[in-house]
Amino acid sequence: MELYKFLPKTNCKKCGKPTCMSFALDLLQGKVKVDDCTPLLESKYKKDYDKLKELIGSEEGKEKELKIDVDTDLCDGCGICVTVCPVNARYCPPTLSGKAPDYPPEKHQLFQVKSGKCELLNLEHCRRIEAEGRERECRVCETYCPRDAVKIDYV
Amino acid sequence: MVTKRVICSGCSLLCDDIIVRSDGLYIDELLGACLKGKERFDQVSAKNRIFNSLIRKNGDLEKVSFKEALDKAVNIIKNSSKPLLYGFSTVSCEAQLKGIELAKSINGFIDSNSIICQGKVLNTAKETGITLTTITEIINKADLLILWGANAAESIPRLLNKTLFSRGKFRMTGREIKTLIVIDPVKTASFGVMGVRDVALQIEMGKDIDLIRVLKEECCKTGSIPETGVAGIDRDDLKRLLLHLTGTENGVIFIGQGLLRPRKDINTVKELLELVQLVNTKQQKGRLSIIMLGGHYNMAGFDHVALSVMGKNHSLQFSDNQLVDTSETIISKIEKEDFDCSIIMGSDPVSHFPTQLSKKLIGKPLILIDNKQSATSYVADIIIPSAITGIECGGLAYRIDHVPIELGKILNPPSNILTDEAILNKFIQALKEA
Repeated sequence: MELYKFLPKTNCKKCGKPTCMSFALDLLQGKVKVDDCTPLLESKYKKDYDKLKELIGSEEGKEKELKIDVDTDLCDGCGICVTVCPVNARYCPPTLSGKAPDYPPEKHQLFQVKSGKCELLNLEHCRRIEAEGRERECRVCETYCPRDAVKIDYV
Repeated sequence: MVTKRVICSGCSLLCDDIIVRSDGLYIDELLGACLKGKERFDQVSAKNRIFNSLIRKNGDLEKVSFKEALDKAVNIIKNSSKPLLYGFSTVSCEAQLKGIELAKSINGFIDSNSIICQGKVLNTAKETGITLTTITEIINKADLLILWGANAAESIPRLLNKTLFSRGKFRMTGREIKTLIVIDPVKTASFGVMGVRDVALQIEMGKDIDLIRVLKEECCKTGSIPETGVAGIDRDDLKRLLLHLTGTENGVIFIGQGLLRPRKDINTVKELLELVQLVNTKQQKGRLSIIMLGGHYNMAGFDHVALSVMGKNHSLQFSDNQLVDTSETIISKIEKEDFDCSIIMGSDPVSHFPTQLSKKLIGKPLILIDNKQSATSYVADIIIPSAITGIECGGLAYRIDHVPIELGKILNPPSNILTDEAILNKFIQALKEA
């Protein structure tokens, strides 16, 4: 609705969309660009055009991609990141000396220790992406790594 | 391609959750093992592995057949009156049993690595008593872990993973419910796993004894902590430490190498064990127990084997094929040069011992039974290669918490290489025939 306010609201269909409302929705999802709306480029909508550019630009700045770096030179394969990660905690099969990861790795498993070094399997189930709300600020793998090999970053 | 769970013999923790994918000839994939375990599994085809029996001729090691090496070794042992057997911490319990048998038949002196490591704690425990625990109990019940003079994060990498971070039956939340206290003069990697509730105590070097004495006094009579604190730790931290010790439901103290420094006048380990006893009698809620951190995977085994067979856990001296009483250890034996040949089994004393002891040790004929090159292998007179226990042959080993675990076999050893047990058996037979 924020974006709709600054559109011409004429439903001219020049952009190929039936209404200005649907254009605003597509704009939010990144399917179309601001320049696709040709009437906006006219001089009388100059203010709205600048405002829209600013809004879209600032939202693009926020959407940075999560990246977890594992430094293989520092890592000694202790597997603390595998155990401490809350995502795959309940999938571990128990052994004589505690819970252990399985082979082939669970689809939820983020980390895996292979040949004495930790490696990242996938990121799609990470708490920082998957869950809504308070779990988003999860940093346990980075905090508890004794050798500071795991680094969480947004690129 | 077979995928199975195996027991790693890389260190004394004997992790049983390692996954190996193998075709029976090589190990293709190793999952879950730390760097130490990986090195152990890589040993199978490593550059520094010994594949042939070697004999020193004119200062150089020469490849010979196993028979020739055995004959020469038997010749040396036969002509000696005071042979020395040492090592036995990286072999299976069966081989340790054979080692004691060999020492008995040749009237030798046998000792294991445990004497310069955690054997001291067991010796002291004969006077004071000791409360032991197991890894499984720590996982399921422990709420306080104390690393005293131990850098577990680097020496036994998976220990903290298993004890501190694991989610046990009564400790479902894992790390959040467990408190960690690290007492160490140096800021080691183990300080890196500290959370907000944990206590880091950077003690002054060699002042552990003062700290233990103050804690003992405070246990008996409150208000005996000095205003200025002890050994670089202030009063509030000491009070917090004692509160943790007496308030814990199931606490564990990991004794590391830092506490075992030999001192002539005082015995730090004895005082610590007395403190544990005192705390256990004082508190009603729970208990404190001890875990001894040793490096080699079957160091605890020799104590158990020797104790069950001979009634003494270390430093066994035989005379007329009978055990005789002696107060000597491997150190005093080498210092007095009270030996005329030595058999080293899966150990590297030349790099472990101080230089003056090493020099005395290599002055006499040295027979080495090992699977890899080490400082000792460069100076040994006879080297006999052996199979790697836990990978190329099975056997019993005692874990860090004195729980026996059966190691399995994954690959076949190279055709000319025998197991430790078989080699010692050949020694015994050859000596009988000679």
